Amino acid sequence: MTRTAILIACGLIAGPIIGGLVSGMDRILTARMQSRIGPPVLQPFYDVIKLLFKEPLVVNVWQAFCAYCYIAAASIALVLFFLQSDLLLIFFVQAVGAVFLVVGALSSTSPYSQIGAHRELLQILSYEPLLVLVVVGFYLETGSFKLTDICAWNHPLLLKLPFLFIVLGYALTIKLRKSPFDLSTCHHGHQELVKGLLTDYSGPFLALTEVGHWFEVVLLLGLCTLFWTTSWVGMAILLVATYFLEVLVDNVTSRMNWRWMLSYVWGVGLTLSLVNLIWLHQG
Amino acid sequence: MDIRAGLTAILVLAPFGGAILCAVLGASRAIRSTIVLATGAILVVSALGLMPLVPFRLAAESVVGLNLHMLIQAADAILLLIILYYGFKHKHVVIIALAILQLLLASYLEFFMLKGPQPAEQVFCDHLSLIMVLIISIVGSIICFQAIPYMENHEHHYQTAPSRQPRFFFVMLLFLGGMNGLVLFNDLSFIYFFFEVTTLCSFLLIGHDRTTIATQNAIRALWMNSLGGAAFVIGMIAAYYETGTLELQKVLATSGAGSGVYLLALALLCVASFIKSAQFPFQSWLLGAMVAPTPVSALLHSSTMVKVGVYLVLRLAPGFIGTLLSDSVAVFGAFSFLAAAALAVGQSNGKKVLAYSTISNLGLIFACTGLNTGESMIAAMLLLAFHAVIKAMLFLSVGAIEQHIESRDIEDMRGLYAVMPLTALITVSGVIMMIMPPFGVLLSKWMAMEAAAQNLYVIMMVALGSSLTVIYWARWAGTLMSDPFAGRFRPEHQPLLTWLALGPLCAGAGVMSVLAPWLYLRLITPMLSSPYSPAYTVKAGGLENVYGAFAILPLSAVALLGLIAAVIALKRAFRAKIVSPYLSGLQTGEPSMCRGPMNQPFKAEAKNYYLDTIFGEARLTDWVNLGGGILLTLILGGAL
Repeated sequence: MTRTAILIACGLIAGPIIGGLVSGMDRILTARMQSRIGPPVLQPFYDVIKLLFKEPLVVNVWQAFCAYCYIAAASIALVLFFLQSDLLLIFFVQAVGAVFLVVGALSSTSPYSQIGAHRELLQILSYEPLLVLVVVGFYLETGSFKLTDICAWNHPLLLKLPFLFIVLGYALTIKLRKSPFDLSTCHHGHQELVKGLLTDYSGPFLALTEVGHWFEVVLLLGLCTLFWTTSWVGMAILLVATYFLEVLVDNVTSRMNWRWMLSYVWGVGLTLSLVNLIWLHQG
Repeated sequence: MDIRAGLTAILVLAPFGGAILCAVLGASRAIRSTIVLATGAILVVSALGLMPLVPFRLAAESVVGLNLHMLIQAADAILLLIILYYGFKHKHVVIIALAILQLLLASYLEFFMLKGPQPAEQVFCDHLSLIMVLIISIVGSIICFQAIPYMENHEHHYQTAPSRQPRFFFVMLLFLGGMNGLVLFNDLSFIYFFFEVTTLCSFLLIGHDRTTIATQNAIRALWMNSLGGAAFVIGMIAAYYETGTLELQKVLATSGAGSGVYLLALALLCVASFIKSAQFPFQSWLLGAMVAPTPVSALLHSSTMVKVGVYLVLRLAPGFIGTLLSDSVAVFGAFSFLAAAALAVGQSNGKKVLAYSTISNLGLIFACTGLNTGESMIAAMLLLAFHAVIKAMLFLSVGAIEQHIESRDIEDMRGLYAVMPLTALITVSGVIMMIMPPFGVLLSKWMAMEAAAQNLYVIMMVALGSSLTVIYWARWAGTLMSDPFAGRFRPEHQPLLTWLALGPLCAGAGVMSVLAPWLYLRLITPMLSSPYSPAYTVKAGGLENVYGAFAILPLSAVALLGLIAAVIALKRAFRAKIVSPYLSGLQTGEPSMCRGPMNQPFKAEAKNYYLDTIFGEARLTDWVNLGGGILLTLILGGAL
């Protein structure tokens, strides 16, 4: 019982803290790649705190509702991850958050917000099947969807699921809103639609979507660590390498359109997954 | 008289009686409504009364004290003659040919093949039948109730005189009786009769408005379903030829034989079911059916007609477990799930989205049935029940919306919350219950995915289909809420019966979701006898098996907490400052109006993406039909 409570608390606290720090380091790394110095590592926290204390302004009251649902779902998904629940269930819970974020954006009539929301839906369409197939890969190798069993697996899963790790990388790039898949909203100021999806979220509600995003980032990075659960060093290497690559890709590629994203991500992602799954299935 | 026999008789005969009363006395609105309400109430009570009594088998003679076999055969012949009459009336060669073929085959079976004593136990009610009876009687009755105010409006709008409502409710009630008969009887020739009853009823209901397009679509439904009827008869004859009995339970018990003819018989019955359930390439009859008044669509899509198909295949599944037929049914179902979801993405017509979503969900049920494991069968049955309730609710909401805004296009429902807040909220909650945990549909989808993970074809298609599903539902929900601030929440005016239909369906779906573990224990576990095993254990209010766990109750509690927090935020947001949506700083005082060049005002708006060039009907339908056709060939060929 106490263990459960501690794990829940870990999930709720670790989410924003790790997520915020990752975001801060991301900004520094990005700045260095662009020959800038960048903000202090705690800058994301300052931003969120400032937003939280701003006067709430809403375009549609339901947007407030959706922002809360988004952060609720994102935090529940991460807590379930810490509780070592069923991986497919965790996937579905995080999908709830993604949907509410879109519904909130759609509830504003601003064309920026609307187009951002539709692009976000296309992003969801692109990465969701990939995440499911990654989860299926875990099941085919370990015989279970439960994280307790997957974490107890005594070989690094990366060796059996190398292609699925790449596939997860695609999903991660989309989820982290990195180029070339940052169609719906992004961190760079030079795009044709900058904050699209988040245009009309403001003040405390924008802060909530930001913290919700941190929860999601931590969840996805947690998913990455599952590929090497046997050693802490391995986990760390995997995480650092993956995230560095994400930032690098973000800075060396430019935004493409959704047609390209859908056909490319499905084409490459599904093929790689299929190959890896057949391999597991026959092996 | 045995109470079980009594209830069975009431469940089948009461709607028939009510139907005839409607036709005879239904000219007065008060009498007609009373008959419909009374019949519905009787059905609901009897269905609930049946709950503690299952499973049971009965000799049909004990139900009515007559030789039912002859009676049903005679009724069947009359039914086919009626279909033949409509074939001649509309000069449709295919309908005529199929009706004659069915008459000939049915007579051949009756007069030349059937030998010896006929099945002694013609009534068979296990928990699958019980689930179906509950869905048909409760959801079906609620739809009929809502149809009372709806049809009043409908006739007022189209100025139908004299009123055709007596006929309408005659057919609606007949439909319920036919459905109850279909799921309660065990004798294939009885099932065939009720199968044809549903075909005829759907034909009459689709053509109810007598417009050119309604007649056209009704005829299409009739010929396609007649094809299903023909497949059914041939399958029945093959089954009798192989096993020497028409008693379905005995037919299935001989599955050890596994011979070609036996599997062919089951495959033909499956094909008949696919046509009933409007699977590809036979989807066009169901899409055409939406020209009918909305309660008809609600009935066809949720509790009757299309559910015949899934019921039959679920019934037959133990007979083909472990065969290629089973695998091909799984692949066929998964294909339908994916293809229908893709087509739904391309639609801006709300009713069509619902129709494709029905086809898609039925496909998933077929996929689960074809996987044929304990887990997948549970998933199939839960999905069947949850889909029935939620789809009925969504159709009734869209019906109410359509009568109010006179459009069924999703674009016209933009900002519906400002116009019809309560209906919009109910529709959105329906959408949420279709795609989100901890609700029942998602629970069954979760089970389906975990059960399908071993089958790569199926899981690939289900993974893709599932993400497409999220797109079209989320888009719709967002569009309904898309409006600048709408002021205080005031429920709009609707007839009482509409609220009494929508409210219980919405609440029922929610409560059923929370109670899913107990539904599972009470309704589904008892019927998972050999060859299946009750795959899940109920632990701490969740379902768990060796490789997966879904903590329904804890998750529902947490979700409720999240919801309460969100509602509090919503209430506080009402007090926050309302600002206009972002329009590059060019907004004027009016909603969505910008200052354009030369200071001229123009309206800034964005429409939804329907991705017509990828998911449009014009682009996909032919390919999808081809795929469906090929897979059907695989099913029939694989059986041989």
